[in-house]
Amino acid sequence: MSNTLIDGLKERVSQAITINTSVGVILPSSNYSDMMQALFEYMSSRNDHFWVYLAISKPYENIVKQFEYASQMTNIRFIDCVSRAAGITNKDPNCIYIESPSYLEKIIIEIMNIFKEVGDQLQKTLIIDSLTSLSIYNDNALVTEFFTHLINRTRLKDIHTFSLAIEEEMDDYINKIMYLRSNKIIKLRESFI
Amino acid sequence: MTNSESYVYNQNRIGLNENENAKSSCPCITGIDELDQKLGGGLPSGNTVLLVGSSGSGKTTLSMQFLTNGAKIGERGVFFTITEPLFKLTKNLEKFDFYDKKMIESGMVNLIDLRIISERLGLDAEKYTVEDASALLEILKDIADELDVKRLIIDSITALCYRLQTKEMIRDFIFKLGSSLASMNCTTILTSEVPPNEVKYSQYGIEEFIADGIIFLGDVDRKGDLIRTLQVIKMRGTNHSRTKSAMSISSKNGIELTPLLKSRV
Ligand SMILES: Nc1ncnc2c1ncn2[C@@H]1O[C@H](COP(=O)(O)OP(=O)(O)O)[C@@H](O)[C@H]1O
Ligand SMILES: [Mg+2]
Repeated sequence: MSNTLIDGLKERVSQAITINTSVGVILPSSNYSDMMQALFEYMSSRNDHFWVYLAISKPYENIVKQFEYASQMTNIRFIDCVSRAAGITNKDPNCIYIESPSYLEKIIIEIMNIFKEVGDQLQKTLIIDSLTSLSIYNDNALVTEFFTHLINRTRLKDIHTFSLAIEEEMDDYINKIMYLRSNKIIKLRESFI
Repeated sequence: MTNSESYVYNQNRIGLNENENAKSSCPCITGIDELDQKLGGGLPSGNTVLLVGSSGSGKTTLSMQFLTNGAKIGERGVFFTITEPLFKLTKNLEKFDFYDKKMIESGMVNLIDLRIISERLGLDAEKYTVEDASALLEILKDIADELDVKRLIIDSITALCYRLQTKEMIRDFIFKLGSSLASMNCTTILTSEVPPNEVKYSQYGIEEFIADGIIFLGDVDRKGDLIRTLQVIKMRGTNHSRTKSAMSISSKNGIELTPLLKSRV
């Protein structure tokens, strides 16, 4: 994968995150790993942010295997919603494990608890990876309610959100809430990037 | 003019009952933020609250968190257990960040095993007569008075009544307990154990009559995963929320609540 592609993505992420309180990213699955790379490189370059990474697409372990530097970053915490449900019992102090991706209320509690302890000098940002994987485990109406609720709570505390959705896994429901609840939608097309 | 006069007159009349006024104006905060919000500040001071749930629903944990949070603001508390021995109780407690051994050592939180007391009284551990139960009640009241506690827990009223033989004995005892608690200057939680998946507030159907409030711990099934819930069913003297909250138990924060997502599950 070319560096110009990653750099281009990073540029778009950077612009969107800086200006908007809630960003939705709709991307084809073939670009998912490029987006991950761009996102993690961007996150590691921003010491003025505090990140909470909600991992629903894959376990925390897999993520830090791919981006080793992420486990050394002091301004990121992970919430892993899939390891426990998949029978993975690893522990890591940098990660909070939720027993099941259907414990949506618990996810909200943990997100808010982490940010509560972060000082106001840092821009708090939540990454949701991804809304479409959340909808694998939960009914659409519930995901809608969760997302609405989360956006309301995070906005109140000046927490920005950056939500991913995989195009192929998307249906009208997810599409609708992303457009309704985001200030900015980034739609990546293979042809475009 | 007439209106405002009669208003003042009423105020004064309310003022006659100063105790009641003081009670309602200063709620007994649980220290569990979302619960206090639901209750409009906390449990009404002096109330007796039935905390209902099946085994493992979080009754003991919530009660202990209520006590330790009270201790942190200088309100002494006592926890009477009859369901589990003290070493087991403290072993579970030690896993929670809200627990601090110093509160026990300083006497701000007192843990008392009612079975040991009944043993000392020479009572049959499994069967109480009405006199036995009354004697136990006297001691319980003496302890609470002597320690001058502001918060009192009995865990559980179900296990206590279980030791009485007939329904009449249970009823008499519960009403005696009720008037005893009402005369004390503290806020009380009685835990009530009910079978899972049943909407009932007590084992014997009488416990709720002496309660000023009922808090129900239950769960909802979401595709096979159980989500803990908390609901305030009644609370005299407050305009409380009746919505169901999702409840989380963790070592770090003990019990926490957040609105339950309601979409069909
Ligand atoms: N440290 C802990 N972290 C998370 N959950 C816990 C912890 N300790 C206990 N629990 C949960 O709380 C439940 C027990 O709560 P408890 O207050 O003893 O219930 P009850 O008194 O209603 O029987 C356990 O079944 C367990 O699921
Ligand atoms: Mg218990």
